[in-house]
Amino acid sequence: MTPDDFDKLQTLLATRAGYRLARDRIHLAEHRLGPIARREGYANVEALLANLWAQPVASLAWAVIECLLNPETWFRRDRTPFNVLEKELLPALAQARADGRVRIWSAGCSTGQEAWSIAMAGKAAGAHVEVIGTDLAQRAIEKARSRIYSGFEVQRGLTAHAMLRWFEPAEDQWRVRDELAEKVRFGRSNLLDEPTDDVRFDVIFCRNVITDMEPQRRARVLDGLERRLVDDGCLFLGVDERLEGETVAFRPVNGRKGLYVKAPSSLRRAA
Amino acid sequence: MSVSTCLIVDDSRIIRKVARRIVEGLGYEVDEAADGAEALAYCTSALPDVLLIDWNMPVMDGLSFLRRMRALPGGDRPKALFCSIETRPEKIAEALAAGADDYVMKPFDGDILQSKLSEVGAIAA
Repeated sequence: MTPDDFDKLQTLLATRAGYRLARDRIHLAEHRLGPIARREGYANVEALLANLWAQPVASLAWAVIECLLNPETWFRRDRTPFNVLEKELLPALAQARADGRVRIWSAGCSTGQEAWSIAMAGKAAGAHVEVIGTDLAQRAIEKARSRIYSGFEVQRGLTAHAMLRWFEPAEDQWRVRDELAEKVRFGRSNLLDEPTDDVRFDVIFCRNVITDMEPQRRARVLDGLERRLVDDGCLFLGVDERLEGETVAFRPVNGRKGLYVKAPSSLRRAA
Repeated sequence: MSVSTCLIVDDSRIIRKVARRIVEGLGYEVDEAADGAEALAYCTSALPDVLLIDWNMPVMDGLSFLRRMRALPGGDRPKALFCSIETRPEKIAEALAAGADDYVMKPFDGDILQSKLSEVGAIAA
Protein backbone atom coordinates (compact mmCIF):
# COMPACT_ATOMS: atom_id res chain seq x y z
CA MET A 1 0.00 0.00 0.00
CA THR A 2 1.40 3.39 -0.99
CA PRO A 3 1.23 6.49 1.25
CA ASP A 4 -1.26 7.86 -1.28
CA ASP A 5 -3.45 4.75 -0.85
CA PHE A 6 -3.37 5.25 2.88
CA ASP A 7 -4.36 8.93 2.57
CA LYS A 8 -7.33 7.93 0.47
CA LEU A 9 -8.27 5.20 2.95
CA GLN A 10 -8.17 7.78 5.75
CA THR A 11 -10.51 10.05 3.79
CA LEU A 12 -12.87 7.19 2.94
CA LEU A 13 -13.14 6.10 6.55
CA ALA A 14 -13.54 9.67 7.85
CA THR A 15 -16.20 10.79 5.38
CA ARG A 16 -18.33 7.65 5.35
CA ALA A 17 -17.96 6.37 8.91
CA GLY A 18 -16.48 9.31 10.83
CA TYR A 19 -13.40 7.43 12.03
CA ARG A 20 -9.81 8.59 12.26
CA LEU A 21 -7.29 6.11 10.94
CA ALA A 22 -3.96 6.93 12.56
CA ARG A 23 -0.87 6.62 10.36
CA ASP A 24 0.60 3.92 12.60
CA ARG A 25 -2.29 1.66 11.59
CA ILE A 26 -1.01 1.25 8.04
CA HIS A 27 0.23 -2.31 8.67
CA LEU A 28 -2.95 -3.26 10.45
CA ALA A 29 -4.96 -1.89 7.49
CA GLU A 30 -2.87 -3.87 5.05
CA HIS A 31 -3.27 -7.02 7.14
CA ARG A 32 -7.06 -6.64 7.36
CA LEU A 33 -7.49 -5.82 3.67
CA GLY A 34 -5.71 -8.99 2.55
CA PRO A 35 -8.70 -11.31 3.07
CA ILE A 36 -11.04 -8.78 1.38
CA ALA A 37 -8.78 -8.67 -1.67
CA ARG A 38 -8.75 -12.49 -1.83
CA ARG A 39 -12.49 -12.76 -1.31
CA GLU A 40 -13.22 -10.21 -4.05
CA GLY A 41 -10.83 -11.87 -6.47
CA TYR A 42 -8.00 -9.33 -6.59
CA ALA A 43 -4.34 -10.35 -6.92
CA ASN A 44 -3.38 -8.28 -3.89
CA VAL A 45 -4.32 -5.31 -1.71
CA GLU A 46 -2.80 -2.81 -4.17
CA ALA A 47 -4.98 -4.14 -6.99
CA LEU A 48 -8.08 -3.95 -4.79
CA LEU A 49 -7.36 -0.35 -3.83
CA ALA A 50 -6.47 0.71 -7.39
CA ASN A 51 -9.83 -0.60 -8.55
CA LEU A 52 -11.65 1.02 -5.65
CA TRP A 53 -10.16 4.47 -6.43
CA ALA A 54 -10.91 4.07 -10.16
CA GLN A 55 -14.51 2.89 -9.77
CA PRO A 56 -15.84 3.52 -6.30
CA VAL A 57 -18.37 0.67 -6.02
CA ALA A 58 -20.41 1.21 -2.87
CA SER A 59 -20.38 -2.44 -1.74
CA LEU A 60 -16.60 -2.71 -2.09
CA ALA A 61 -16.06 0.58 -0.27
CA TRP A 62 -18.21 -0.63 2.62
CA ALA A 63 -16.41 -3.97 2.77
CA VAL A 64 -13.15 -2.03 3.06
CA ILE A 65 -14.55 0.32 5.71
CA GLU A 66 -16.01 -2.57 7.71
CA CYS A 67 -12.74 -4.41 7.96
CA LEU A 68 -11.04 -1.31 9.40
CA LEU A 69 -13.53 -0.87 12.26
CA ASN A 70 -12.76 -2.22 15.71
CA PRO A 71 -15.25 -5.05 16.32
CA GLU A 72 -14.13 -5.91 19.84
CA THR A 73 -16.96 -6.54 22.27
CA TRP A 74 -17.95 -9.03 24.90
CA PHE A 75 -20.87 -9.94 27.12
CA ARG A 76 -21.58 -7.62 30.04
CA ARG A 77 -18.50 -5.55 29.16
CA ASP A 78 -17.54 -3.43 32.21
CA ARG A 79 -20.47 -5.05 34.10
CA THR A 80 -21.49 -1.88 36.01
CA PRO A 81 -23.69 -0.37 33.24
CA PHE A 82 -25.75 -3.57 33.11
CA ASN A 83 -26.12 -3.65 36.89
CA VAL A 84 -27.19 0.01 36.94
CA LEU A 85 -29.67 -0.74 34.15
CA GLU A 86 -31.10 -3.79 35.92
CA LYS A 87 -31.23 -2.49 39.49
CA GLU A 88 -31.87 1.23 39.04
CA LEU A 89 -33.04 2.33 35.62
CA LEU A 90 -35.38 -0.46 34.57
CA PRO A 91 -37.49 -0.54 37.74
CA ALA A 92 -37.96 3.25 37.51
CA LEU A 93 -38.57 3.38 33.76
CA ALA A 94 -40.97 0.43 33.68
CA GLN A 95 -43.07 2.19 36.27
CA ALA A 96 -42.92 5.55 34.48
CA ARG A 97 -44.13 4.13 31.13
CA ALA A 98 -47.87 3.74 30.75
CA ASP A 99 -47.55 0.46 28.81
CA GLY A 100 -44.60 -0.75 30.93
CA ARG A 101 -42.43 -1.12 27.82
CA VAL A 102 -38.86 0.11 27.88
CA ARG A 103 -37.13 0.68 24.54
CA ILE A 104 -33.38 0.36 24.46
CA TRP A 105 -30.91 0.94 21.63
CA SER A 106 -27.50 -0.68 21.43
CA ALA A 107 -25.89 1.80 19.00
CA GLY A 108 -22.72 0.40 17.45
CA CYS A 109 -23.48 -3.09 18.73
CA SER A 110 -20.86 -4.93 16.64
CA THR A 111 -21.58 -8.67 16.90
CA GLY A 112 -24.44 -8.18 19.36
CA GLN A 113 -23.07 -9.11 22.78
CA GLU A 114 -24.11 -5.75 24.27
CA ALA A 115 -27.68 -6.05 22.98
CA TRP A 116 -28.03 -9.57 24.41
CA SER A 117 -26.58 -8.41 27.74
CA ILE A 118 -29.20 -5.63 27.85
CA ALA A 119 -31.96 -8.16 27.19
CA MET A 120 -30.58 -10.38 29.99
CA ALA A 121 -30.70 -7.41 32.38
CA GLY A 122 -34.29 -6.78 31.29
CA LYS A 123 -35.29 -10.37 32.04
CA ALA A 124 -33.51 -10.26 35.39
CA ALA A 125 -35.37 -7.05 36.31
CA GLY A 126 -38.68 -8.56 35.18
CA ALA A 127 -39.11 -5.59 32.84
CA HIS A 128 -40.68 -5.59 29.39
CA VAL A 129 -37.74 -4.46 27.27
CA GLU A 130 -37.47 -4.10 23.50
CA VAL A 131 -33.88 -3.96 22.33
CA ILE A 132 -32.64 -2.73 18.95
CA GLY A 133 -29.01 -3.35 18.00
CA THR A 134 -27.50 -1.47 15.08
CA ASP A 135 -24.05 -1.37 13.58
CA LEU A 136 -22.32 0.00 10.52
CA ALA A 137 -20.80 -3.40 9.69
CA GLN A 138 -23.10 -5.72 7.74
CA ARG A 139 -21.05 -8.80 8.67
CA ALA A 140 -21.23 -7.98 12.37
CA ILE A 141 -25.00 -7.60 12.10
CA GLU A 142 -25.28 -10.92 10.27
CA LYS A 143 -23.42 -12.64 13.08
CA ALA A 144 -25.58 -10.93 15.71
CA ARG A 145 -28.70 -12.08 13.85
CA SER A 146 -27.40 -15.65 13.66
CA ARG A 147 -27.21 -15.51 17.49
CA ILE A 148 -24.46 -18.15 17.40
CA TYR A 149 -21.29 -17.66 19.46
CA SER A 150 -18.14 -19.72 19.94
CA GLY A 151 -17.07 -21.19 23.27
CA PHE A 152 -14.56 -18.37 23.63
CA GLU A 153 -17.13 -15.66 22.90
CA VAL A 154 -19.88 -17.06 25.09
CA GLN A 155 -17.56 -17.42 28.07
CA ARG A 156 -16.11 -13.92 27.85
CA GLY A 157 -18.12 -11.96 30.40
CA LEU A 158 -20.73 -14.58 31.27
CA THR A 159 -20.80 -17.01 34.17
CA ALA A 160 -21.54 -20.64 33.34
CA HIS A 161 -24.86 -20.16 35.11
CA ALA A 162 -25.80 -17.27 32.79
CA MET A 163 -24.53 -19.23 29.78
CA LEU A 164 -26.77 -22.20 30.60
CA ARG A 165 -29.69 -19.89 31.32
CA TRP A 166 -29.57 -17.95 28.04
CA PHE A 167 -27.84 -20.26 25.53
CA GLU A 168 -28.27 -23.75 24.12
CA PRO A 169 -25.60 -25.88 22.43
CA ALA A 170 -25.54 -25.66 18.63
CA GLU A 171 -23.04 -28.25 17.41
CA ASP A 172 -19.79 -27.04 18.97
CA GLN A 173 -21.07 -23.49 19.44
CA TRP A 174 -23.80 -21.80 21.48
CA ARG A 175 -27.09 -20.25 20.32
CA VAL A 176 -29.12 -17.58 22.14
CA ARG A 177 -32.37 -19.11 23.37
CA ASP A 178 -35.68 -18.06 21.78
CA GLU A 179 -37.00 -16.37 24.92
CA LEU A 180 -34.10 -13.90 24.82
CA ALA A 181 -33.94 -13.68 21.02
CA GLU A 182 -37.51 -12.46 20.77
CA LYS A 183 -36.56 -9.34 22.78
CA VAL A 184 -33.86 -8.17 20.35
CA ARG A 185 -33.80 -7.03 16.72
CA PHE A 186 -30.73 -6.14 14.71
CA GLY A 187 -30.28 -3.85 11.72
CA ARG A 188 -27.53 -2.09 9.82
CA SER A 189 -27.37 1.64 10.32
CA ASN A 190 -24.85 4.47 10.16
CA LEU A 191 -24.77 6.75 13.20
CA LEU A 192 -23.76 9.63 10.91
CA ASP A 193 -27.09 9.46 9.05
CA GLU A 194 -29.83 11.84 10.12
CA PRO A 195 -32.76 10.08 11.81
CA THR A 196 -35.48 9.70 9.17
CA ASP A 197 -38.23 8.51 11.49
CA ASP A 198 -39.40 9.48 14.96
CA VAL A 199 -38.44 6.28 16.81
CA ARG A 200 -37.31 7.20 20.32
CA PHE A 201 -35.57 5.21 23.02
CA ASP A 202 -35.67 5.27 26.80
CA VAL A 203 -32.06 4.16 27.13
CA ILE A 204 -29.23 4.29 24.60
CA PHE A 205 -25.96 2.37 24.89
CA CYS A 206 -23.26 3.85 22.65
CA ARG A 207 -20.12 2.60 24.33
CA ASN A 208 -16.61 2.70 22.91
CA VAL A 209 -18.01 3.83 19.57
CA ILE A 210 -17.23 7.56 19.34
CA THR A 211 -13.74 7.73 20.87
CA ASP A 212 -11.88 7.11 17.60
CA MET A 213 -14.11 9.45 15.62
CA GLU A 214 -13.15 12.86 14.31
CA PRO A 215 -14.45 15.53 16.75
CA GLN A 216 -16.92 17.01 14.25
CA ARG A 217 -18.35 13.60 13.42
CA ARG A 218 -18.55 12.77 17.10
CA ALA A 219 -20.67 15.88 17.62
CA ARG A 220 -22.94 14.82 14.77
CA VAL A 221 -23.39 11.34 16.26
CA LEU A 222 -24.16 12.80 19.69
CA ASP A 223 -26.71 15.12 18.13
CA GLY A 224 -28.41 12.13 16.52
CA LEU A 225 -28.40 10.23 19.82
CA GLU A 226 -29.96 13.22 21.56
CA ARG A 227 -32.77 13.32 19.00
CA ARG A 228 -33.38 9.59 19.46
CA LEU A 229 -33.51 9.76 23.26
CA VAL A 230 -36.68 10.64 25.19
CA ASP A 231 -36.36 13.63 27.51
CA ASP A 232 -36.18 11.54 30.69
CA GLY A 233 -33.97 8.88 29.09
CA CYS A 234 -30.37 7.86 29.77
CA LEU A 235 -27.29 7.48 27.61
CA PHE A 236 -24.41 5.12 28.41
CA LEU A 237 -21.04 5.94 26.90
CA GLY A 238 -17.95 3.80 27.58
CA VAL A 239 -16.72 3.99 31.18
CA ASP A 240 -13.55 5.75 30.02
CA GLU A 241 -15.22 8.06 27.52
CA ARG A 242 -15.63 11.75 28.37
CA LEU A 243 -17.56 14.44 26.58
CA GLU A 244 -15.40 17.51 26.17
CA GLY A 245 -17.25 20.33 24.51
CA GLU A 246 -18.55 18.27 21.55
CA THR A 247 -22.07 18.80 22.79
CA VAL A 248 -24.09 20.68 25.36
CA ALA A 249 -26.96 18.21 24.95
CA PHE A 250 -25.87 15.83 27.72
CA ARG A 251 -24.61 16.10 31.26
CA PRO A 252 -22.90 13.33 33.26
CA VAL A 253 -24.67 11.70 36.20
CA ASN A 254 -22.62 12.01 39.37
CA GLY A 255 -21.17 8.78 40.69
CA ARG A 256 -22.25 6.78 37.64
CA LYS A 257 -19.30 6.45 35.30
CA GLY A 258 -20.31 6.73 31.66
CA LEU A 259 -23.96 7.55 32.39
CA TYR A 260 -25.45 10.72 30.88
CA VAL A 261 -28.84 12.42 30.85
CA LYS A 262 -30.09 15.31 28.75
CA ALA A 263 -28.98 18.75 29.81
CA PRO A 264 -31.87 21.12 30.68
CA SER A 265 -31.18 23.18 27.53
CA SER A 266 -31.87 20.23 25.24
CA LEU A 267 -35.19 19.15 26.71
CA ARG A 268 -37.88 19.37 24.07
CA ARG A 269 -40.63 21.77 24.97
CA ALA A 270 -44.10 20.31 25.14
CA ALA A 271 -46.03 21.19 22.01
CA MET B 1 -2.10 -6.90 52.47
CA SER B 2 -1.25 -10.55 51.87
CA VAL B 3 -1.04 -11.92 48.33
CA SER B 4 -3.98 -14.01 47.13
CA THR B 5 -3.25 -17.65 46.44
CA CYS B 6 -4.45 -19.95 43.67
CA LEU B 7 -4.16 -23.73 43.44
CA ILE B 8 -4.24 -25.19 39.93
CA VAL B 9 -5.43 -28.79 39.92
CA ASP B 10 -4.86 -30.50 36.57
CA ASP B 11 -3.10 -33.66 35.45
CA SER B 12 -1.74 -31.93 32.36
CA ARG B 13 1.56 -30.20 33.01
CA ILE B 14 1.02 -28.02 29.93
CA ILE B 15 -2.41 -26.82 31.07
CA ARG B 16 -1.00 -26.08 34.53
CA LYS B 17 1.78 -24.06 32.94
CA VAL B 18 -0.57 -22.06 30.71
CA ALA B 19 -3.05 -21.42 33.52
CA ARG B 20 -0.22 -20.49 35.90
CA ARG B 21 1.03 -17.82 33.54
CA ILE B 22 -2.44 -16.28 33.23
CA VAL B 23 -3.24 -16.37 36.94
CA GLU B 24 0.19 -15.06 37.96
CA GLY B 25 -0.42 -12.20 35.54
CA LEU B 26 -3.52 -11.37 37.58
CA GLY B 27 -1.37 -11.08 40.72
CA TYR B 28 -1.87 -14.49 42.33
CA GLU B 29 0.70 -16.67 44.03
CA VAL B 30 0.26 -20.06 42.38
CA ASP B 31 0.71 -23.67 43.46
CA GLU B 32 -0.01 -26.79 41.45
CA ALA B 33 -1.48 -30.23 42.09
CA ALA B 34 -1.59 -33.08 39.55
CA ASP B 35 -4.72 -34.81 40.84
CA GLY B 36 -7.56 -34.49 43.36
CA ALA B 37 -5.81 -36.42 46.12
CA GLU B 38 -2.75 -34.20 45.93
CA ALA B 39 -5.00 -31.13 45.95
CA LEU B 40 -6.97 -32.40 48.95
CA ALA B 41 -3.76 -32.95 50.92
CA TYR B 42 -2.71 -29.40 50.05
CA CYS B 43 -6.08 -27.94 51.11
CA THR B 44 -6.08 -29.85 54.41
CA SER B 45 -3.06 -27.84 55.51
CA ALA B 46 -4.00 -24.49 53.96
CA LEU B 47 -6.94 -23.40 51.80
CA PRO B 48 -6.14 -21.21 48.79
CA ASP B 49 -8.29 -18.21 47.83
CA VAL B 50 -9.01 -19.56 44.36
CA LEU B 51 -8.97 -23.04 42.80
CA LEU B 52 -8.92 -24.02 39.14
CA ILE B 53 -10.03 -27.65 38.97
CA ASP B 54 -9.88 -30.08 36.06
CA TRP B 55 -12.59 -32.74 35.90
CA ASN B 56 -10.95 -35.95 34.66
CA MET B 57 -7.80 -36.80 36.59
CA PRO B 58 -6.21 -40.02 37.84
CA VAL B 59 -6.41 -41.04 41.53
CA MET B 60 -9.21 -38.59 42.44
CA ASP B 61 -11.29 -36.66 39.89
CA GLY B 62 -12.20 -33.01 40.17
CA LEU B 63 -15.79 -33.51 41.25
CA SER B 64 -14.86 -35.83 44.15
CA PHE B 65 -12.14 -33.44 45.19
CA LEU B 66 -14.47 -30.42 45.06
CA ARG B 67 -17.11 -32.11 47.26
CA ARG B 68 -14.49 -33.13 49.83
CA MET B 69 -12.80 -29.75 49.77
CA ARG B 70 -16.15 -28.01 50.40
CA ALA B 71 -16.66 -30.30 53.43
CA LEU B 72 -13.39 -29.16 55.05
CA PRO B 73 -13.58 -26.55 57.84
CA GLY B 74 -13.71 -23.20 55.98
CA GLY B 75 -14.04 -25.10 52.70
CA ASP B 76 -16.96 -22.93 51.60
CA ARG B 77 -14.67 -19.89 51.38
CA PRO B 78 -12.40 -20.54 48.35
CA LYS B 79 -13.69 -19.55 44.91
CA ALA B 80 -13.65 -22.74 42.86
CA LEU B 81 -13.62 -22.63 39.04
CA PHE B 82 -14.08 -25.92 37.27
CA CYS B 83 -12.05 -26.09 34.04
CA SER B 84 -12.88 -28.92 31.67
CA ILE B 85 -13.25 -29.91 28.03
CA GLU B 86 -16.74 -31.17 28.99
CA THR B 87 -19.33 -28.88 27.31
CA ARG B 88 -22.63 -30.75 27.80
CA PRO B 89 -25.03 -28.45 29.70
CA GLU B 90 -26.12 -31.21 32.11
CA LYS B 91 -22.49 -31.94 33.03
CA ILE B 92 -21.75 -28.23 33.54
CA ALA B 93 -24.85 -27.98 35.74
CA GLU B 94 -23.62 -31.01 37.73
CA ALA B 95 -20.30 -29.31 38.48
CA LEU B 96 -22.07 -26.11 39.55
CA ALA B 97 -24.41 -28.12 41.79
CA ALA B 98 -21.40 -29.82 43.39
CA GLY B 99 -20.18 -26.45 44.63
CA ALA B 100 -18.22 -24.85 41.79
CA ASP B 101 -18.57 -21.05 41.73
CA ASP B 102 -18.13 -21.04 37.99
CA TYR B 103 -17.26 -23.31 35.10
CA VAL B 104 -14.72 -22.71 32.35
CA MET B 105 -14.85 -24.73 29.12
CA LYS B 106 -11.46 -25.59 27.67
CA PRO B 107 -9.85 -24.17 25.71
CA PHE B 108 -9.87 -20.83 27.51
CA ASP B 109 -7.69 -17.72 27.37
CA GLY B 110 -6.65 -14.92 29.69
CA ASP B 111 -9.65 -12.72 28.85
CA ILE B 112 -12.07 -15.49 29.76
CA LEU B 113 -10.33 -16.42 33.01
CA GLN B 114 -10.10 -12.78 34.04
CA SER B 115 -13.78 -12.14 33.33
CA LYS B 116 -14.81 -15.33 35.17
CA LEU B 117 -12.70 -14.43 38.20
CA SER B 118 -14.20 -10.95 38.31
CA GLU B 119 -17.75 -12.33 37.96
CA VAL B 120 -17.24 -14.54 41.03
CA GLY B 121 -15.73 -11.59 42.88
CA ALA B 122 -12.20 -13.01 43.17
CA ILE B 123 -10.66 -9.98 41.45
CA ALA B 124 -11.78 -6.41 40.80
CA ALA B 125 -13.49 -5.93 37.43
